[in-house]
Amino acid sequence: MVESDQRPFWGRLSGWGPYRSSMRLLSAGPRRQFLVLVTLPVLWVLTQHLGPMVQMASVSLTDAYPVAPGTETHWTFEHYLKFFTDRIFWMPFFRTLIFASVFTFVTLILTYPVAYYLARHVSPKNRMLLLLLLLIPFWVGEIVRTYAIMILLGNTGALNLLLQSIGLIERPIPFMYTSFSMGVGIVYLTALYMLLPLYSALEKLPRSLNEAGADLGAGAWTRFRRITLPLTLEGITSGCILVFLISTGFYATPVLLGGPSTTVFAQTIAGFFHVAGNEWPTGAAFATIMFLAALIVTGVFQKLMNGLRRGDVR
Amino acid sequence: MNRGNRVLLSCVYWAFVLYVFVPLLLMILMGFKDSKFIGFPIRSWTLEWYQGVFADTEVISTFGYSMAIAALSTLVSVLVGTWIAVLLEGRRFRGRTILFGLTILPALIPGIISAIAFRIYARGLGIEPGMGAIVWAHAVHNVPFVVLVVMARLSTLPKSQVEAARDLGADPLISFLRITLPYLIPSILGATVFCLLLSFDDFIRSYFLGGYEPTLPVLIFAKLRSGMSPEINAIATVALVLTAVIGIWAERFTRRQARESDA
Repeated sequence: MVESDQRPFWGRLSGWGPYRSSMRLLSAGPRRQFLVLVTLPVLWVLTQHLGPMVQMASVSLTDAYPVAPGTETHWTFEHYLKFFTDRIFWMPFFRTLIFASVFTFVTLILTYPVAYYLARHVSPKNRMLLLLLLLIPFWVGEIVRTYAIMILLGNTGALNLLLQSIGLIERPIPFMYTSFSMGVGIVYLTALYMLLPLYSALEKLPRSLNEAGADLGAGAWTRFRRITLPLTLEGITSGCILVFLISTGFYATPVLLGGPSTTVFAQTIAGFFHVAGNEWPTGAAFATIMFLAALIVTGVFQKLMNGLRRGDVR
Repeated sequence: MNRGNRVLLSCVYWAFVLYVFVPLLLMILMGFKDSKFIGFPIRSWTLEWYQGVFADTEVISTFGYSMAIAALSTLVSVLVGTWIAVLLEGRRFRGRTILFGLTILPALIPGIISAIAFRIYARGLGIEPGMGAIVWAHAVHNVPFVVLVVMARLSTLPKSQVEAARDLGADPLISFLRITLPYLIPSILGATVFCLLLSFDDFIRSYFLGGYEPTLPVLIFAKLRSGMSPEINAIATVALVLTAVIGIWAERFTRRQARESDA
């Protein structure tokens, strides 16, 4: 007959023989505890986070992928050279970088006053509510929001109807399938990623600095330019980097909102994976080029902004 | 001057609210239009499109498929992400910065590149496009968000509580399960909902790693390419209501939880 154990669950567990011996084995000394804790994260990060990128880079340097059985692969640089040979490859690439920069700048200009208002002019109690109000649309997916923009900007869309009814235009303006419609869509999708870093930077800014500036006779514009703007450069930098990286990665939005003259590099890359042929290494090379370019642009941008920040402290 | 500024700024805020809400509201309205033709003005209304959506077994099963993918991938993300957060927060060791950088990496790779890299990697591993591949890609992609959310919460954990538990004889595992984990629950729930929404809304990874069965965003995309129709508005609206309701509920819930455990 088994005597029932009256101790609570945790007491029973820690008294249970197999548990005790395995714990003794795993947590003997801080060194072993650390090893137990660190193994899974390191393995996961190397194989799952870094692995796909390394594999993509190495595929971009081989002449065939997937490798047909019985054949040998050779290292080659031809896929990278291919990029420079044809206008239809590098045009979308530069277009993507320019579009992403412009959209990032527009997002910054659009969201800075909103973040400023929330952080500086709203009482802390209402602040969360007003911020939450802006969060709601951003839980809605990329495709649904892109579709919403299509309905807004179409020839029989709401915007054209509005402009016609107030008599500004007679015939609908073809907004759709242009860089304008694409920009409206991408700014719509990324605004929150700019707004949140700006908001947290502005919220951290002590009010006393602005008051001191006012006491010393600085006008509103001077205070903004000499105090607020320099001290929120960090938030501006991270928001811009985030939005830039996200904007370069959009595929569905340019497909749905853009036209033939706005083809972005994501569409070029995707093209190599639609066909059943052996074009994967070229696609991999182009994706690697895109990734490196995005890293370089954001890296240079960060360096510039850091320089600007240090310059203002002096 | 200051007052004028304030009024101007509040106008900008409300204009921005209009900008983010109006397109979605128009999209919802269009789902009730009694015509196959998308466009304004709407003269007569109908519920026919919604009846069609709920009667369409393909759409219903797509909803289920997307939810299953979201649930499975979130489970993996939350387990791995919490583990990594516990390792990274409050510990100093060699290579910590590198490990943190690599942890955040998937969140910083532009969508198309991430999807392509996953597709190539999956093929290298012999994973066929389909549910397994999508679950895997979503799980990996969402880990950084879990890590960041859980680490933020972990940084406010009173260390003395864990030390007290250890002094009273609890081993590391039990003190983690009884002190640290309960403290982390609000952040873990928040991260869970965030991952569910990210996965449910994800297009690019689902599109490149999917087989013949589409997830909901992929289905909407495919339908859009063959032309706009109020039927799509009805599907999109159902998805929108679902995600918005879950999002608002989670926001309120995590806020309340955080307040209670702080009190």
